[in-house]
Amino acid sequence: MSGGGGPRQRGGGSAERPPPGRRREELLGSKRKQKLLLIHQALTSDPVAVETLRGAAVSEGGLLTDEIRRKVWPKLLSVNVYNLPPKPGRAVRQNHKDYTQVQLDVSRSTRRFPQGMRAEQRQVLQEQLIDLILNILRAHPELHYYQGYHDIAVTLLLVAGERLGSALLEKLSTHHLRDFMDPTMDSTKHILNYLMPILQRESLRLHDFMLRAEVGTIFALSWLITWYGHVLTSFPHILRLYDFFLASHPLMPVYFAAVVRPTAVLSPGPQPPVERCPQPRPARGAEVSPCSPLP
Amino acid sequence: MGTAEEDYNFVFKVVLIGESGVGKTNLLSRFTRNEFNHDSRTTIGVEFSTRTVMVGNAMVKAQIWDTAGLERYRAITSAYYRGAVGALLVFDITKHQTYDVVERWLKELYDHAEATIIVMLVGNKTDLAQAREVPTEEAKMFAENNGLLFIETSALDSTNVEQAFETILRDIFSKVQKQQQRSPQDNAVSLSSENPHGGSQTPEEKRACCISL
Repeated sequence: MSGGGGPRQRGGGSAERPPPGRRREELLGSKRKQKLLLIHQALTSDPVAVETLRGAAVSEGGLLTDEIRRKVWPKLLSVNVYNLPPKPGRAVRQNHKDYTQVQLDVSRSTRRFPQGMRAEQRQVLQEQLIDLILNILRAHPELHYYQGYHDIAVTLLLVAGERLGSALLEKLSTHHLRDFMDPTMDSTKHILNYLMPILQRESLRLHDFMLRAEVGTIFALSWLITWYGHVLTSFPHILRLYDFFLASHPLMPVYFAAVVRPTAVLSPGPQPPVERCPQPRPARGAEVSPCSPLP
Repeated sequence: MGTAEEDYNFVFKVVLIGESGVGKTNLLSRFTRNEFNHDSRTTIGVEFSTRTVMVGNAMVKAQIWDTAGLERYRAITSAYYRGAVGALLVFDITKHQTYDVVERWLKELYDHAEATIIVMLVGNKTDLAQAREVPTEEAKMFAENNGLLFIETSALDSTNVEQAFETILRDIFSKVQKQQQRSPQDNAVSLSSENPHGGSQTPEEKRACCISL
């Protein structure tokens, strides 16, 4: 069912045949150069052309490199890079109610660090990550830690380092992530509930299927509150999404969920058990596959 | 698993609950995929896996729901206790704090699940025997006094993991059988799982899934 329809034909429609590999690369290369130039101009203009940067973050390829991200992400969040907070430091850990939990979650997040990174280097970054998180929580007692917050923080730390990462995380925590950091998850649950009406407009078939399967919306919880950092394995993919989300309305991750879901559920192959059978099921006469996915 | 997964007579929903970091996710992956992961990532919200096993003369598909242990997720995860016929309440034998709160977890469970749910208290991480903080006898006694099954496991070295799941599935199975004998027409209704997200479906539609085959 991938691609929606029968098996895809190879080589059909010669008029649309893609350019040979070489030419394609050149095209991509020149597009990339154009984009780099555009971003550079937007950054050096006075005042900074934030809308142009926003467009660059959303369009194909996103912000391209971490070096550009370090310059553009602060602009997208109105963070003043000339007045960054100091490095968090160890003191933030003292008697903090969330220290144990943060430590537990960070120590279990080794997969979020680049493959091939030396263990000692990763451990240094993990310690920085704990400080980064506790520093924000200490400065904002109204914000409450949630598991998954560390997935956002690690992405910022890896791209922007301790000081800029800290400033970016603070801004995100008081804006985009604010609802997730309430004392309870009620607001988060509420936001997750937007998914079904959006999905209804995007794919009525899938919407109806999911209602029938009674899966609810909990599967998208980690997508929403970690900006997909918890579930994607490729760091470049995560960064590409962060470019997009940083340039968009805070509810964009929910809309995004409605777009990725159709391919995930309606494709063949191993799937999450979206069926929820009333039980037990009769032993005989099961000619029809129970709880089968969409035809 | 493959096609054998589709061949089953019963679906039993079982929930895994307990404090953050006690090893719920690794117990599940040990049982369903025979895997253990030293840096198993944090569970956010609810995740689940299935495995089909033979119980008595029936194929039972265990649908196991793994939940986040952190307090603030409780409001979300507890909705998923509904319709569960079994629960593994897991604590870490090397962290007394995770055992101290077992009673609170039980209350939480009984508040949201059906009263007939079968509960097994599971002391995990027996491979860390030298760091044990919860004596076996203490936990065993608690389980007996509260009508719970009890077992100690190690997801790391596989000790008793298979046995834990098999025991609870067998118990559920014999309960279902008794119920079937009492009211053969009724069992689908009395054990059916409910929709935690509001009943947008009619019973007819539900039936199309499994009952009226």
